[in-house]
Amino acid sequence: MNQELNQETVKKIMEAKGEVRGVTLKTDMGFVLKEKGEEGLKKLEDELEKLGQPIKFQEIKTMDFYPIGLRAVSLLAIKKVFGFDDEKIKEIGLFATKTSLIIKLFVRYFLSVQRVFMKEAPRLWAKHYTVGELNTVELNEEKKYGIIRLRNINVHPIVCCYLEGYFCGILHLIIKSSRINSQESKCTFRGNEYHEYLLKWE
Amino acid sequence: MTTKKEEEKISTLLEDLTSLESYARDLFSFLPLPVCLVSSVGIILEVNPAFENITGYNIEEIIGKPAEDILVKKEFEELAKETLGKGYVRAKELIIFTKEKKEIPASVSTILRKSEEGEIIGYFVGLFDLSDIKKTEKDLKSAQIALLNMLEDVEEARGRAEEEKNKTVAIINNFTDGLLVFDPENKLSLINPQTEKIFDIKQRDIVNRTLQELKTFPTIEPLVLILLKETKEISRKEIQLKENLVIEISSVPILKGEEKLGNLIIIHDVSREKLIEKMKTEFVSISAHQLRTPLSAIKWTIRMLLDGDLGELTLEQRDFLEKTYRSNEKMISLINSLLDVTRIEEGRYLYKPALTEIEPICQFVIKSYEEEIKRKNITVDFKKPEKRLPKIMMDVEKIKLAIQNLLDNAVRYTPPGGKVTITLKYGKKEVGFSIKDSGVGIPKEQQSRVFTRFFRGANVMRMDTEGSGFGLYIVKNIIEAHGGKVWFESEEGKGATFYFNLPTKEEFAEFLKEF
Repeated sequence: MNQELNQETVKKIMEAKGEVRGVTLKTDMGFVLKEKGEEGLKKLEDELEKLGQPIKFQEIKTMDFYPIGLRAVSLLAIKKVFGFDDEKIKEIGLFATKTSLIIKLFVRYFLSVQRVFMKEAPRLWAKHYTVGELNTVELNEEKKYGIIRLRNINVHPIVCCYLEGYFCGILHLIIKSSRINSQESKCTFRGNEYHEYLLKWE
Repeated sequence: MTTKKEEEKISTLLEDLTSLESYARDLFSFLPLPVCLVSSVGIILEVNPAFENITGYNIEEIIGKPAEDILVKKEFEELAKETLGKGYVRAKELIIFTKEKKEIPASVSTILRKSEEGEIIGYFVGLFDLSDIKKTEKDLKSAQIALLNMLEDVEEARGRAEEEKNKTVAIINNFTDGLLVFDPENKLSLINPQTEKIFDIKQRDIVNRTLQELKTFPTIEPLVLILLKETKEISRKEIQLKENLVIEISSVPILKGEEKLGNLIIIHDVSREKLIEKMKTEFVSISAHQLRTPLSAIKWTIRMLLDGDLGELTLEQRDFLEKTYRSNEKMISLINSLLDVTRIEEGRYLYKPALTEIEPICQFVIKSYEEEIKRKNITVDFKKPEKRLPKIMMDVEKIKLAIQNLLDNAVRYTPPGGKVTITLKYGKKEVGFSIKDSGVGIPKEQQSRVFTRFFRGANVMRMDTEGSGFGLYIVKNIIEAHGGKVWFESEEGKGATFYFNLPTKEEFAEFLKEF
């Protein structure tokens, strides 16, 4: 996770198979603009260019698909340029749920916790990523927790961190609670077969 | 595998989708009305910038927040229930709470949002900030209350003013004196019934007329002529309007602070007083005449006895008769003074003016008092200018009487060994006379009454029981009848100085023109 970020490492990350919707990169842009303004965004784009990925965020199409490696590279570049820690990366994930166009289109299906966990979560994943499968393993509304599992996707650990915030954000949209937590309990980068997230609320 | 045609189609669709997204975003962002989307469980899912502005929350703070955090819980529950039940709510007034816990009155409208399958997704909530309207309403209400209060005050003040006006009108109408009120432009603005009666004139005929216009009304003309002539205040000036109608007029300015609002003319009918005064004067005159005849007879009889025409008298008899003769003389003198006063009051104190020098008159009078002066060992100093004084128009007998009265007082009330100084001066337009004594003086509190009838100083009454109290009254009338002026200066115990001026011939002629 603390691997040095350079053109070579980026090139390796970019070799990952699969694509991701432009909206995820757009929400990165939104967060940078909110936190660091236009100047910050320019710095980020310069860094990406240095890393061999000359991206103009404004030109990214929300609904178009981009290489999945770019999802990780964008976050890594943000982390490097602005010196963000993992908590801040989680915050980007949380922010994404509140500004993402796809989420706005999807909220029509956020009718109950049960439905979101059991039916919509896999669909929502598929709307964003062309690889990986998201499933709910367990949901206990009484005890206020749920476990979701993500298989067949190994981009970079920073994406795992981002997704912690992202899942937390989704829960905010369906559960009235000020204390919601999401934690990756299993990870392929830690030797597990899949990624697993424990979602809890009070 | 997709064909090239399908790829182009997907690409076009993506572009359209992006444009649509941009359009929807711009529309939502541009909307000045605060709008949010609330899920069916009451969570805020989307807000526009206007909503961020009104609540003070930014987008990531507000999205995912329960709507009841910004609305009163009970009110929100009712709103949600009504929306979910009816499908919409129109312009319901609620209070919204900002991030800073500030309360904002707002009009809230909602509309239900359903999926294609008919499932309730949530509802849009639109707010309209009523703060300005409420403030305006409050201001208007305050202004309305203030206006009503003012109106009440004005009405009350108007009532009081009306009441005051009615009182004033009642006072004016019932006033026993005639009243005329002139405005600052000297237009007659008001008269009372008494004035109508005195001048035999109707208010409607003369109000709103200037003094010049009023001159054309014969009955009021004598008054108008005086008002036109006098620019200052008038104090108790008499006018005889008819044979039995004498009025006394006074004029006072009506002032409000420094501002002059007009003039008030007070007409006091003194006809009755004048008639009584006349009858009294006539009575005194007749009585005095009747008294003087026997007194004259007594005088000549005693004179004959004293002269020995009826035989020799013993010393004792002579002594008695001389005392009786002196007392009789005093009585005659008093009767003469009374007659002078009655003539003055009847306006019959006519005199015969002739161009005369005053100096010989003074010398004559001083000489006539030589014996008394000598007896009291009083020094009399007579000062006159080196240059000869001009002759002035005067009634010699009357001026002699005036000087005599003044000298008589000076000698009478100056203690033995005292000094009397008589001075003649020549001014520009008059000849001045003064007589200064080292006598008892006049008490300050009595000085205002010195020239009135029967006045006698309290201090002199204690030391001398003689004196009629007519002397200075006669002096004043004589001098003023000559167009002159008389006055005095005195301090009790330090003597007194009496002055009079008589006008020169030219000034006297001017004075006569007034009659």
